[in-house]
Amino acid sequence: MGYKVKLGIFEGPFDLLVYLIENAQMNIYDIQISEITRQYLSYMEAMRKLDVPMAAEFMVLAAALIEIKSKMLLPRTAPSEEGPAAEDPRTDLVEKLLEYKRFKLLAEMLQQQEEQGLRIMEKPQEDLSVYTGQPDEYLDLDLRQFVSAFNLFLRKKKKVEEIRKHHIRSEKQRITAEARMADIRDFFREDPFREADFKDLIERKDDKYDIALTFSSLLEMMKEKKLEAEQKYIYGDIKVKATEFLIKGESDDE
Amino acid sequence: MTSKKSMKSAFESMMFVWGEPLDVKLAAEIFNINWRDAYDCFKELEDEYEQENRGIRIREINKSFQFVTPEENIEYIERLCTPVKHKRLSQSALEVLAIIAYKQPVTRGEIEAIRGIKCERVIEGLQRKELVSEVGRSTGIGRPILYGTTDVFLKNFGFKNLKELPDIEDIEGTINSDEPSDSVDLQQIALTLPEK
Repeated sequence: MGYKVKLGIFEGPFDLLVYLIENAQMNIYDIQISEITRQYLSYMEAMRKLDVPMAAEFMVLAAALIEIKSKMLLPRTAPSEEGPAAEDPRTDLVEKLLEYKRFKLLAEMLQQQEEQGLRIMEKPQEDLSVYTGQPDEYLDLDLRQFVSAFNLFLRKKKKVEEIRKHHIRSEKQRITAEARMADIRDFFREDPFREADFKDLIERKDDKYDIALTFSSLLEMMKEKKLEAEQKYIYGDIKVKATEFLIKGESDDE
Repeated sequence: MTSKKSMKSAFESMMFVWGEPLDVKLAAEIFNINWRDAYDCFKELEDEYEQENRGIRIREINKSFQFVTPEENIEYIERLCTPVKHKRLSQSALEVLAIIAYKQPVTRGEIEAIRGIKCERVIEGLQRKELVSEVGRSTGIGRPILYGTTDVFLKNFGFKNLKELPDIEDIEGTINSDEPSDSVDLQQIALTLPEK
């Protein structure tokens, strides 16, 4: 029996099965399981050949169909034997299909209702603040909206804080290398023979800018032969000493 | 006490300003009357607009009332305004919506059992459109989420309340009554299917 394969139109395995049964004009209460199983499987085969990924649910129904088919082959218990005749193995499936068909019809009904509903226009609520005349607003938020609004507030606050940090830092950047070099000179003139640790020269040890500024000042002063510095090993402390040039060379300073 | 006439007039003004469905409870509180009386006023107004065939009608949604345009005028509204493209629901969305509407409160598992396929995405889509929402948790294993329809559903599908949904038995009746001569009718259904 031939049938047209329509690709991608089936909403699920039941949808496909209902289509096959109706297409074959079978009575849903008396499904010819072997014929329907054959059609169902060849549909799946066609889909497989076309490389269309099939949901696992299609496999599940295929397995169920085969199971029913094999049960149909078994002779049913004679009614004279104990208890009533064995249940028709198709009953479960038929019930499920009927349930599915029922909702398929309800879905069609809803579709018509939707069509009708789309033809009715309503007006959205206007801005009512002119009527209230009061500045206080009632927040109409559910918990989730409230949480996300609060998170947004926190994020904004963090950003502002970060900007503030930068702002303060930029003020401090007015400390120039010249000023720092003067500081270092004064520091050594107090006690010409002191051997200082580089860290002692830094004003604010938690401030990267200050550290970098001090370091570049140190390098500059070493270039001018005003300081000597020594680092015994990598990442070790840097020992800084003043040279005679720094101590005596006041007059050279501009 | 305010006369019924002026009360109805006030309700009209309130509905006009409110736009959204106006809760009868809210309207009743404003006049300090009982709910039933306020509801009757709205119903009378609804009838009056209906009988006079006005271009504005009153629609009831879940014990709230709202001004809307009558269906038959959509053509002229569309001529006046650029037609808005309404996205209709897909077949699978309609099926899931039907199951939720009739079986609510219902779990995802129950929906999937009826359709024989996973429905998670479809339910999410319906939630985004605010047609369904979570209404609680089942007492079953894992306490799965229960879904139900919203007022937006009632509004978009033209139901005053859930009681207005056509009887599931009536729809079933159409299947069963077809049964003896189903070959003719079923073929028609089969023919319409590929259009999906």
